[in-house]
Amino acid sequence: MIRFENVSVTYRGGVKALRNLDLTIEDGEFVVVVGLSGAGKSTLLRVLNGLVPATEGSILVDGTEVVGASARTLREVRSHIGMIFQTFNLVERTTVVNNVLMGRLSTVTAWRSTFGLWPASARAAAMEALERVGIVDKAYVRASNLSGGQQQRVGIARALAQNPTLMLADEPVAALDPVTSRQVMGDLQRINQELGITTLINLHYLDLAQEYGRRLVGLNGGELVYDGQIEDATPETFSSIYGREISSTDVLVDHDQS
Amino acid sequence: MAVSQPTPVETRPGRPLGPRIWRWVIAVVILVAAAWSVTGLNVSVDRLLNASGDAWNVIKRMWPPAFSIEIKRGVIGKVLQSIYIAWVGTVIGAILSLPLSFLAAGNVSPRLIRLPIRQVFNAIRSVPELIVAVILIAVTGLGPWAGALAIGLHSIGTLGKLSSEAIENIDAGPIEAVDAAGGRWISAMRWAVLPQVLPVVVSYWLFRFEINVRASAVLGLIGAGGIGSELVSQLNFRNFPEVGAVLFVTIVAVITIDLLSSALRRAIIQGGAGPDQSRSGEALEDLTGMSLA
Amino acid sequence: MTAPSSPPTTWPTKPRPRVSILIGAILAIAFTVYSARQVDMRFSTFADVWTNPLWEKFWPIPWEWVFDRRNVINPLIETFQIAIISTVIGCSIALPVSFAMSRLTTPNSVTYYSSRVVMNIVRAIPDLFWAKLLVTAVGVGAFAGSWALSIFSLAVMVKLFSEDIDGADPRPLEAAKAAGGRHIPSVATGVFPTVFPAYVSYSLYVFELNIRASLVLGLVGAGGVGRVIEAQRQFFRFGRILGILVIIFVVVVVLEQVSVAVRKRLV
Repeated sequence: MIRFENVSVTYRGGVKALRNLDLTIEDGEFVVVVGLSGAGKSTLLRVLNGLVPATEGSILVDGTEVVGASARTLREVRSHIGMIFQTFNLVERTTVVNNVLMGRLSTVTAWRSTFGLWPASARAAAMEALERVGIVDKAYVRASNLSGGQQQRVGIARALAQNPTLMLADEPVAALDPVTSRQVMGDLQRINQELGITTLINLHYLDLAQEYGRRLVGLNGGELVYDGQIEDATPETFSSIYGREISSTDVLVDHDQS
Repeated sequence: MAVSQPTPVETRPGRPLGPRIWRWVIAVVILVAAAWSVTGLNVSVDRLLNASGDAWNVIKRMWPPAFSIEIKRGVIGKVLQSIYIAWVGTVIGAILSLPLSFLAAGNVSPRLIRLPIRQVFNAIRSVPELIVAVILIAVTGLGPWAGALAIGLHSIGTLGKLSSEAIENIDAGPIEAVDAAGGRWISAMRWAVLPQVLPVVVSYWLFRFEINVRASAVLGLIGAGGIGSELVSQLNFRNFPEVGAVLFVTIVAVITIDLLSSALRRAIIQGGAGPDQSRSGEALEDLTGMSLA
Repeated sequence: MTAPSSPPTTWPTKPRPRVSILIGAILAIAFTVYSARQVDMRFSTFADVWTNPLWEKFWPIPWEWVFDRRNVINPLIETFQIAIISTVIGCSIALPVSFAMSRLTTPNSVTYYSSRVVMNIVRAIPDLFWAKLLVTAVGVGAFAGSWALSIFSLAVMVKLFSEDIDGADPRPLEAAKAAGGRHIPSVATGVFPTVFPAYVSYSLYVFELNIRASLVLGLVGAGGVGRVIEAQRQFFRFGRILGILVIIFVVVVVLEQVSVAVRKRLV
């Protein structure tokens, strides 16, 4: 279970990215976070695993306090949290399996991983993760030779290799075309259902949010402005989250076809 | 529309005066500096006029080069020794500069560690190899090992600077991914940074080797062994045909190594995104240790 | 994991490293070991070097000797003079030669190939080899040093600049030729203006290279501050050498700052 209590984030230079946020997420939930760019979506995910430090408040991840935690505690917490990035964040010059093995770094001593002496269990976990996203045959291919959708699957496999209890996805499909976007969202949904991994996804496209989300969280200017079931959200809900009328750029399908 | 009349001469824009004045100022400054410099050479007109004749005379006397004598004197072994010195120096520089360059890179190393290491790089680069060798030869004794150490030390400075700049230019995404997965700093360097920079860094090593071959040849002039020592001993006795042979061997060795190394560098960089710059830019950076941008 | 995973036999096996890379690595290691033996590599040096009694001669630095004009400052001025005159001569001659050496602007293939061959040979001879040769040919002193650095900076400059001319836009040259221009005027109006900024910036670099090179010319008798180092090392006056080193260090650092500032203004 994840609990945010009165969490605020102020960046150097005074920009307030999150304001007094309270939020509780139960195990196994599939939560979609929407909001304009700059609304604090990305900060919400990064404050959860300590990539961005919270300036005040408390964040409990499965009972461990993240705010003000030591580097050691943070590494421990992060080892159970998989993260997927908008830009994939792969090392393109190396093989797919080496990228996925990066998800096992927290389980291997520093000197073993530095010399590439991965235990067989780590290699097996990496292969299983690749199998789950359907690209195990690409394991020894250079990541740069993969298509965008395949690269994001490597990113998902890297997160899965951690055996996470929580999955954070920061705009996972923003760099992908509509068809691939749906496949990747389908992968994430399937993983949530099959493995019961709590999943938090930032999305810009409303139709994707409605299609795949179950619970919807809306942010505006760093404040929580909506929290409810996706079925209850109306077009008015979205325009109030966005603070403006919904336009064709806010949905994935239409603006590609028009 | 009617064909326009030529504008009256007095209303046409004149040539702008500012840039022209600057051009003249700079030209005069360069001329004055050159004239002042010539006075420092302490050279009589007589000597100036004879100089090109003297130089030509020396060149003429190098022909034909005395290859057979030089081969008997072991010139091949000596040029190889210069190459060994350069190689050992490059390896020393490469091995020591690699870890240091991570600690000197702004994006992966804290200020407190980064700044002193950068100062060390700059300090090393500021002292010419030859002077380092003068001191090393005094304390370690004459010989190739002193030369290799001098070259190695200097290479730490230049390679360290270039490699840390290569690290600063990487994509930071993979580092974030390692952090997010609970990896340590050393793991992020090994798995997120090293694969991105290694081809570029290795090509810098090879380029440094090309430079070091010239440097080690020069070190022989002050007693570090190799082809430079042979040149000095033959020049001191004014055995010009032998000098011609030594020069010929040097030229062949330097050009061969340049060609091999640059072919290898191209093959290494081809695999991915290398630094997008011309070869001459790269050469400049290495020679001066400063980027063109 | 709830979903059944297929047996590991469907997983691809790790490919063997490429033979060429393997052989290359073995060769590199073997060559390193062999070279290390050839240069009499001794790790004991790192232990012995600290106890060498010679270190005591490095301290104290006799500053009053160092700052006496005749000892270091005048040779240092000579160093600058060598660098200036060599840069002016080398870069001036390099201007026409570079145009002859570029595929785009060369008047004919004979000029192209002959200039390339000559310049590549000149560049393959290290700068201090030139200095040593010219000291033998025209006598000890700054005159030989200026000759040597002029030749060497010519060779470096043409290499850098001719590559820039190669990369210049060929269309203005075509236009000038199409308008009936002769070769040299066409190059002067069609290509020269676009590559002139590169020429200026390379000249500054060459000047910097020449200063660095001229600091050590004296070690082979070609003038400048290096000859003081050479003279003092004969008598093991290492304190004085260290003093000179400090001055050289300051000169190089200041030079670098100045050249960074100048280049910023140019760009």
